[in-house]
Amino acid sequence: MARPLDPLGFEDEMCPVCKSRKYLNPDIVFVFNPECYHSMCLNCANRLFNDGPNQCPHAGCNKTLRRKGFRSAFFGDLAVEREVDIRRRVAAVFNQVEDDFETLQDYNNYLQMVEDLTFELVNGTDERRRQAEAQLQAWEAEHRADIERNKKAGREADEISRKRLAAERDAVRQRRIEAIKEAEAEKRERVRSREMELDNLAKGTTAMTAEPATKVQLKRRGQVNRVAETASNPTIATTGMGTGASEVERLSIRGLKEKPKAPVPQGPYDPFGGMDFAPSRYKLHGGLTHPLIEKYRLDRQHVAGGYSFDDFAARALYEAFAGLGVFVEDEKEAGSGIGLSQETSMAAGMAAVGDADKMDLD
Amino acid sequence: MEFNIDDLPVLFPYPRIYPEQYAYMVDLKKTLDAGGNCVLEMPSGTGKTVTLLSLIVAYQQYYPEHRKLIYCSRTMSEIEKALVELRALMKFRAERLGHEEEFRGLGLTSRKNLCLHPSVKREKSGAIVDARCRSLTAGFVKEKREKGENVETCVYHDNLDLLEPHNLIPNGIWTLDGLMRYGEEKKQCPYFTARRMMQHCNVIIYSYHYLLDPKIAERVSKDLSKDCIVVFDEAHNIDNVCIESLSTDITQDSLMRATRGAQNLEAKISEMKDSDQEKLQSEYEKLVEGLKGLDEGRQEDAFMANPTLPDDLLKEAVPGNIRRAEHFVAFLRRFIEYLKTRMKVRQVISETPPSFLAHLKEYTFIEKKPLRFCAERLTSLVRTLELTNIEDYRPLQEVATFATLVATYEKGFLLILEPYESDTAKTPNPVLHFTCLDAAIAIKPVFDRFSSVIITSGTISPLEMYPKMLNFETVVQESYAMTLARRSFLPMIVTRGSDQASISTSFQVRNEPSVVRNYGNLLTEFARITPDGMVVFFPSYLYMESIISMWQGMGILDEVWKHKLILVETPDAQETSLALETYRTACCNGRGAILLCVARGKVSEGIDFDHQYGRTVLCIGVPFQYTESRILKARLEFLRETYRIRENDFLSFDAMRHAAQCLGRVLRGKDDYGVMVLADRRFMKKRAQLPKWINQAFLEANTNLSTDMAVGNARAFLKQMAQPFSAKDQEGVSIWGMEDLKRHQEKMAEDMIVELKTAREEEERERKRREEEERRRFEEERDRVSDYEMDEDDEAEMMALDARIG
Repeated sequence: MARPLDPLGFEDEMCPVCKSRKYLNPDIVFVFNPECYHSMCLNCANRLFNDGPNQCPHAGCNKTLRRKGFRSAFFGDLAVEREVDIRRRVAAVFNQVEDDFETLQDYNNYLQMVEDLTFELVNGTDERRRQAEAQLQAWEAEHRADIERNKKAGREADEISRKRLAAERDAVRQRRIEAIKEAEAEKRERVRSREMELDNLAKGTTAMTAEPATKVQLKRRGQVNRVAETASNPTIATTGMGTGASEVERLSIRGLKEKPKAPVPQGPYDPFGGMDFAPSRYKLHGGLTHPLIEKYRLDRQHVAGGYSFDDFAARALYEAFAGLGVFVEDEKEAGSGIGLSQETSMAAGMAAVGDADKMDLD
Repeated sequence: MEFNIDDLPVLFPYPRIYPEQYAYMVDLKKTLDAGGNCVLEMPSGTGKTVTLLSLIVAYQQYYPEHRKLIYCSRTMSEIEKALVELRALMKFRAERLGHEEEFRGLGLTSRKNLCLHPSVKREKSGAIVDARCRSLTAGFVKEKREKGENVETCVYHDNLDLLEPHNLIPNGIWTLDGLMRYGEEKKQCPYFTARRMMQHCNVIIYSYHYLLDPKIAERVSKDLSKDCIVVFDEAHNIDNVCIESLSTDITQDSLMRATRGAQNLEAKISEMKDSDQEKLQSEYEKLVEGLKGLDEGRQEDAFMANPTLPDDLLKEAVPGNIRRAEHFVAFLRRFIEYLKTRMKVRQVISETPPSFLAHLKEYTFIEKKPLRFCAERLTSLVRTLELTNIEDYRPLQEVATFATLVATYEKGFLLILEPYESDTAKTPNPVLHFTCLDAAIAIKPVFDRFSSVIITSGTISPLEMYPKMLNFETVVQESYAMTLARRSFLPMIVTRGSDQASISTSFQVRNEPSVVRNYGNLLTEFARITPDGMVVFFPSYLYMESIISMWQGMGILDEVWKHKLILVETPDAQETSLALETYRTACCNGRGAILLCVARGKVSEGIDFDHQYGRTVLCIGVPFQYTESRILKARLEFLRETYRIRENDFLSFDAMRHAAQCLGRVLRGKDDYGVMVLADRRFMKKRAQLPKWINQAFLEANTNLSTDMAVGNARAFLKQMAQPFSAKDQEGVSIWGMEDLKRHQEKMAEDMIVELKTAREEEERERKRREEEERRRFEEERDRVSDYEMDEDDEAEMMALDARIG
C-alpha cells in the first residue's frame, strides 16, 4: 500500500516499463490501453507503439496494442476505470427509467438484473463473461426501438436540466451584480451628499443644508421599497433577464425559497355558507302586489316595523309553487318513513320550484 | 417565595426575585399558553436558568397535560449547572408542598462522560469509547452470548435488562455525577439508563446536538412527544450549530481509510458467503421486500443513523442495484475513486449538489437514488455482517453520510473543494467541504414537531434576526433591561487615542504603528487603574500575535508588566486552561493580571469572569469573521439570495453578537461591577446592535471618547463603585421581596383594570356615538315619512278637488 507520507499514492506511481517515478519526474503522464488496462508512461507508449502495433510489455500479457488506443485514466484505480468503461456500454443499452415500469419493485428487479449482468462482465470468469456479453447483445437486438427512444428522452432531459442549471447560475450572477451596483450607488450617493453638505456649510447657505439629506433619505427609502417589492414578487424580478425559452426562465427562480404569505383578507361572514336562496327557475318582479295588502302599505303600524311587501310576495309565490313537485305515489314507493317525510317534502318543494321553469309568472 | 402568575402558582426557590425575572416568567407563560415560539433575551447573571426552570416546572405540575421539558444547553458544565439548579428547585418545592412530587429529571451526555466499564472508560477519544461500547452492547453480541458463544459483554449494560424497563432509576433529579454514583452502586450503565428513561422523564437536559443533529436526533430524540416544551439556552450561536450538524468535510486521508474500509467489507462479505450464506440472503430478501426496521429492535446500538432530516427520508425499498452486498461495496468503491479523482484538481471548485451529481453520473454512472440510500444500506450491511470493530469503518461512514446528504438536498448546500490550506501554501492538502448554508434546514423539524420552542440567551440581539435566519414565527420577542440600584457597569466606546488619531482594526490600518501604539496606550492606562483582573479581546489569533510582537518592540509590554501579569490564550485547550488557572490565582493574590484572548476563542464563551476575576473588559477591534473564507462567502451569498439579509448586515450582526458575548463575561450578577470598553472607531455606528441591557446603560457622554477621557470616566466610576453598598439598597429596586412583588402585581392588575376601563369607556363612547347616529337616521326617516304623509294629504285634497270639479 501507499507510504504514509503520500496517502493517495499520487507521487509514488511508477512506470513498470522504464521504472521512472513521479517523484523524480513530476511531469510524467501515465496512459493505458483499454484492451488490457495496463498502465505505462507516455514516453514508453510512444517509444513502443510508434512503429505500429506491438505486444503489451507487461509480463504475461499477450494482447497486441496500437498507439491510437492509449489514453490517460480518469480514475486512479484502473480496475475502476475498466468497470466504468463496461458500465458505459451497459448503460447505453439498459437505459430504462422508472416510469417505464408498473411498480417500483419491478424497476428494482430490473436494476438488479442489470447490476448482476454488469458484475458478471466486470468480475466474472471468462465463461460467464461471454455468457453475459451474449445476453447484452441479445437484449440490444431485441429492444432496439426502446433503447433509441429512451436515449433520446434522456438526452432531452439532460439538455433541459443543463439549461436550467445554466439559467439559474446566470440569474444568480445577475442578481449579485445588481446587488453590488446598488451598494456602490448608495455609497456614492452618500459621499456626494456629504460633500454637498460640506460645500453648503462652507458657502454659508444653511437653509440649503437640510434639503440634500432629505433627498437622500427619500432615495434610499425608494430603494428599500423596490427591494421589498422584488422580495415579495420574485417572478417579476427575474423574468427580465433570462435568455432561454420561457419555461426555463420560469424555472430559473427556483433558487428563491417560498416565503410564508400574508393571510388573504377574508370577506364578510356568510351564515348560509354560500347557499343561494334566490328562486332559480322563475323570476320575481318587483312591485307585485295584492289588493288585500294594499291598504297596509299606508298603515303606519305596519310600515314602522320595517315590514317588506316584496318579501310577502316572494313567500306567497314560494308557498304556491312548493307543493307542485310532490308526488305522493313516488313517496310511497320509495318507502320513506314519516321521520324522513318532512325533509323530503321540503326538498321536493324546492325541486318543484326549480321545475317550474315553464310557469312564467308574467 | 411563592406567588401566582394569573392562575398559576409558582414556587421560586429564593426569598427574593429580580423584576426582570418576573417579567421573563410572565412572558414565558404567555408563550406556553399560546403554544408558540419565542425569543427572549435576558442579561447574563440574572438567574435565567432558575427562572426558566421554576416557571416551567410549575407549569408542568399545575396543568394536567404535564408537558415534558427538553432543556438544551451548550456545554457539559452548563448541563450540570442546570441539573443542580433543578435539584435545588425540586427540594424547595418538596419542602413547601410538604410532599415529594412524582418527578424525574435526567441529564444526558456522551458515553465518554458516563461510562463505567473499567477498560472502556479509560479511552481518551469519545469516538473510540462509542465504538468499543457498541461492540460490547450491540444486539447481536447479546444474541451470540445467549447462544452460548464466548463473547465479551458489558456487565453494566447487561444488568439493565434485569430491571423493569420503565423504572430503571427512582424518581428524583439526577445530576450527571449522581447518575454515575448510582450506576456504580447498582452496577448499571448510567448512559443507557438515561437513554432508556428519557420517555419516562419530566425534564431532560442535554446538549443541542441531541435535537439538531439528525445523525444523533434520529436515535436519541425521536420518541419525544409533540407537546414537549423545548428550550435552547445560550442560543446565540444556534444557527452555527445547525449548520455544522449538516456539514461534512472529506480529506484525502479519510478517503484513503474509507477505501481500506471498503476493502475490509469486501473481505468480510466473501468470508460470510462461504460460512453463513443465509444471513446475507435473508438481508437481501428483506431489502427486496422493503421491510426495514422490523427486526432492528432497539435502535440504540445502530452503527449510524441516516444523516438526513426525518422529513426528507425516502421511505421506500432500497434500489435494486445496491441490494446485493457485493454490488453495494463495488458501488461505494466507485464513488470513493471518483472523489479521489476530484481531489486531484488543483484549483478551487465550488458547485451545487445538482451539478456535482450530473458530473458524477457522467463519469461513474452512479444515479442519485442509490446514492441517497447509501447511509441506510451501509448500516444494514454492517448489522448483517455483525462487525464489532466499528471504529475502522468511521471514514467509510463519513463518505456514506456525505453521499446521502448530497443526493438528498439540492438547495441550501454547496460543495467547495479547496486544494490548498491557505493561499500561500505550496503543498496541496485538498479538503472537500460539503457545507450547509441554510440554518433553517436543520432546525425546521424541531419547529414542526414541537409546539413551543423557546430560544433564549444573554445576548441574542437583534432579536428579529433569528426568526429571519431560522425561518420561524414567534409569539413573543422580548429583550429585558437590567434593573440596577446603582450603575454597576460602565460601557464606553473609545474611538481615538490620546493623540486624537482614530483607532480601528480595519484591515488597512491595523498594522500602522500609530494605531498599534494607541491601542498599547489604552491597555497600559487601563492596566494602571483597574483593580484585579482585566480581560482583553482581539478579533483573531493572527492579529493578536502580530500586535503583541509589535507592542514588545515598542516597549509597551514592559510598561504593562509594572502593573499586571500578562497571560495569553492559545488555540490549545490545555495551555489555555493553565493560563486561566494562573490568571485566577493572580487575581486572588496581588495586583491581578491581564488575559489576552480572542473574541471567537474558547474564553469568550462559557468562561465567567465574575467579581475580581474581571473588572475591565477591553474589546480591541470589531470581531468580524474572516471574510475571505469561501464557506462564509457562500453563506453570505445564500443569505442575500434567500432571506434578503445583506452581507454587511449579517457580518455586522455576527461581529456584534460576539462583542456582546465578550462584554457580558465580566458582569455575572447584580452585586458585580465592571468597565466595558469597546475600542474601535466603527463601534459608533454599530451601537444599536448591542443588547438592550448594555445599550440602555450607554450614556451619550461615554461614546466617541479618546483614551484619556475614557480613563478619566473609568476612574470616577471605579471610585463610585468603591463606596460601601449594602444589599439593602437594592431592595425594592433591583430585587423584589414578597411585598414588592405584590405591589407590582397589584399595579399590573390595576393597570389592567385601567386598561380594561378605558377600553370599556371607549366602547361606551362608541356605542353612544352609534346610538346618536341611529337616532339621527331615524329622525331623518321619520321626516321623510311625514313628507310622504303630507303628500298623501295633498293627494286627498287633490282628489277632493277633482271630485268637486267632477
